[in-house]
Amino acid sequence: MTSDPAPRRLHPATLISRWLRIIPQMAAGGIGVAAGIAREGFGGILLFAFIAMLAGLAIALLVWWRFSYTVGAGEIVIEKGVLHRQRRVIPFDRVQDISIEQPLLARLFGTARVKIETGGAGADEGSLDMIGLADARLLRDHIKRGQAAPVAEETEAAEPVLFEMRLGRLLLSGLFNFSLVFLAAIVAGLQYLDQFDLVDWEQVIAAEQKGAAAGLVTIRTTLILIGLVLLLGVAAGVIRTVARDFGFRLTRTEAGLRRRRGLLTLSEIVIPLRRTQVALIESGPVGRLLGWHALSFQTLGADRKEGGVQVAAPFARIEALLPILAEAGFPPPPPRAEFRGLPRRGLLRRVLAWLVLALAAGIAASIVLPEAGFGVAALLVLALLAVLRWRKHTYLVGERALFVSRGLLKRRLWIIPFEKTQTISTSRGPVQRRLRLASLLVDTAGASAIRAPEIVDLDGGDADALAERLLASFHDARAVIRLQSGLISSPTR
Amino acid sequence: MQPDENSDEARVSDAMRPLHPNQLWLLRIRTIVSMLALLGIALAFDAGPLRDTGLRPGLVPGLAALLGLVAILWLPGRRYRAWGYCEDEEELHVRHGLLVRVRTIVPFGRVQHIDLAQGPVERSFGIATLILHTAGTRGSAVRLPGLARNEAEKMRDRIRHRIRQEFV
Repeated sequence: MTSDPAPRRLHPATLISRWLRIIPQMAAGGIGVAAGIAREGFGGILLFAFIAMLAGLAIALLVWWRFSYTVGAGEIVIEKGVLHRQRRVIPFDRVQDISIEQPLLARLFGTARVKIETGGAGADEGSLDMIGLADARLLRDHIKRGQAAPVAEETEAAEPVLFEMRLGRLLLSGLFNFSLVFLAAIVAGLQYLDQFDLVDWEQVIAAEQKGAAAGLVTIRTTLILIGLVLLLGVAAGVIRTVARDFGFRLTRTEAGLRRRRGLLTLSEIVIPLRRTQVALIESGPVGRLLGWHALSFQTLGADRKEGGVQVAAPFARIEALLPILAEAGFPPPPPRAEFRGLPRRGLLRRVLAWLVLALAAGIAASIVLPEAGFGVAALLVLALLAVLRWRKHTYLVGERALFVSRGLLKRRLWIIPFEKTQTISTSRGPVQRRLRLASLLVDTAGASAIRAPEIVDLDGGDADALAERLLASFHDARAVIRLQSGLISSPTR
Repeated sequence: MQPDENSDEARVSDAMRPLHPNQLWLLRIRTIVSMLALLGIALAFDAGPLRDTGLRPGLVPGLAALLGLVAILWLPGRRYRAWGYCEDEEELHVRHGLLVRVRTIVPFGRVQHIDLAQGPVERSFGIATLILHTAGTRGSAVRLPGLARNEAEKMRDRIRHRIRQEFV
């Protein structure tokens, strides 16, 4: 696919997948019509279904016919739309991530979906639903070549493997991905069935109530039920993890890290190293005790559904993460002992509210409502959690990056290289002002809005000094980069 | 609520430039409009749902009017003074916020594009809002209102010249 300027269409198998997606929509819309026709007998419904299928095929055909893409020397042009035509030009320079996905249906036809992300606001900026797998690979390599100085042909087999997960490790990691999501789905499904009177809950509950008279039975059933729930949660976690991370393999390519994974839906993505912004090391409460961590990179174009990060190693020892970090140009995390904690008076802000409430509840408990005693206990637990969370919130200004660590159960450690700073801001709420505290946030490209590496409740003076220091470090780091790029290639535009 | 005058924050803010005085008038007008809206709602409630309750007619609108008057006299000045900015060689510092005081530093090298916005009221006062867009998330659009129109334009051009075409 060396700059072939002719417009191309998607693989014809797109028709089938599109058609399969249109049919349910049409069926949903057509139920009302079908009900109307139903009076005219079964034949009417069949006729309607036939027409709907034909119409679906016609729509799929039209959409396919009107969708074309042209790969030029420095850009890809996507033209689409049946009535409302849209022409989108994506210069290779602006491409952040290219991912290749193979859902089950696509694998049957030997095709793949190519997603081109540019870091803009839109979710699907350039998505080629189904093209031949070989074409997809060629296209990706073509775009990659178009971005950087010409590089040697990439051969996947020869790429050094940075991280790999074998089946044993995969299953183990599944055990830690305990998930109640599927359980919630099952419960929701049961309620749905209940609506149609397929399961008679009254009967089940009545039997339970009979047993309750005996006292012991409920405890036993509860224990069994809890055990069952836990078992289901673990099973769901294993299934989900295996489906997502089967055959996980991270290799080093010329310009980035190539990640392949997936059981049913195969996905392949290259994380361009030039575009990585922040490294994130996460660990769960149990996994951390046993030394298991996950590493991901925040890139500008990363899928926002995954929190704006691309997982590079989902379940690994910290020693296994260090080479990946080094390859990606991130400094390794310093030992915990070197991290700085936050001023003790920050505890006042975090704990005081709970303690005051607990005191109020305690007074209420002693005078009017003895039941409020439980409230006191709960509030004290909340206060204790706040203290523990405060203890685990630490930061460190390294030589090349800012390190921020947060989280009591799920712990996150952000590695923010100085040169990736977008803006630096400090903020002071009313209580923080009284206590002379401030929060500091280094904003980066593609950062998550919710899970931001904010340092909360620094000493006010420290926060301002830190902001100045980070700013100076940012300018120094950028100057070094400009110097280097000036030495290697012609000055940037 | 009262800021500690000896706090580090008060010291730092001294170096910052205030907004154009017309911005104060703009803030006053905005506060008056929103307080009139509040009064309107209070009057509507007084004439409608509150008539059957034990509340004295006119009590709620009276309270709303009092609150509005205090807000009009007291809020705009404080809001205005909360704003401040400082244009350095390499970056812009912006300070704003009354309840939560925020100071933001935007290095010019990080600016993706610049907007100059002017609403109808702003236009009649000859002031404009400068908006610096970066690739970040929370600080992706840093607003600086209350600049004299020609000063805002000059500032935009100065920043534009300093934007380096460097990629993230």
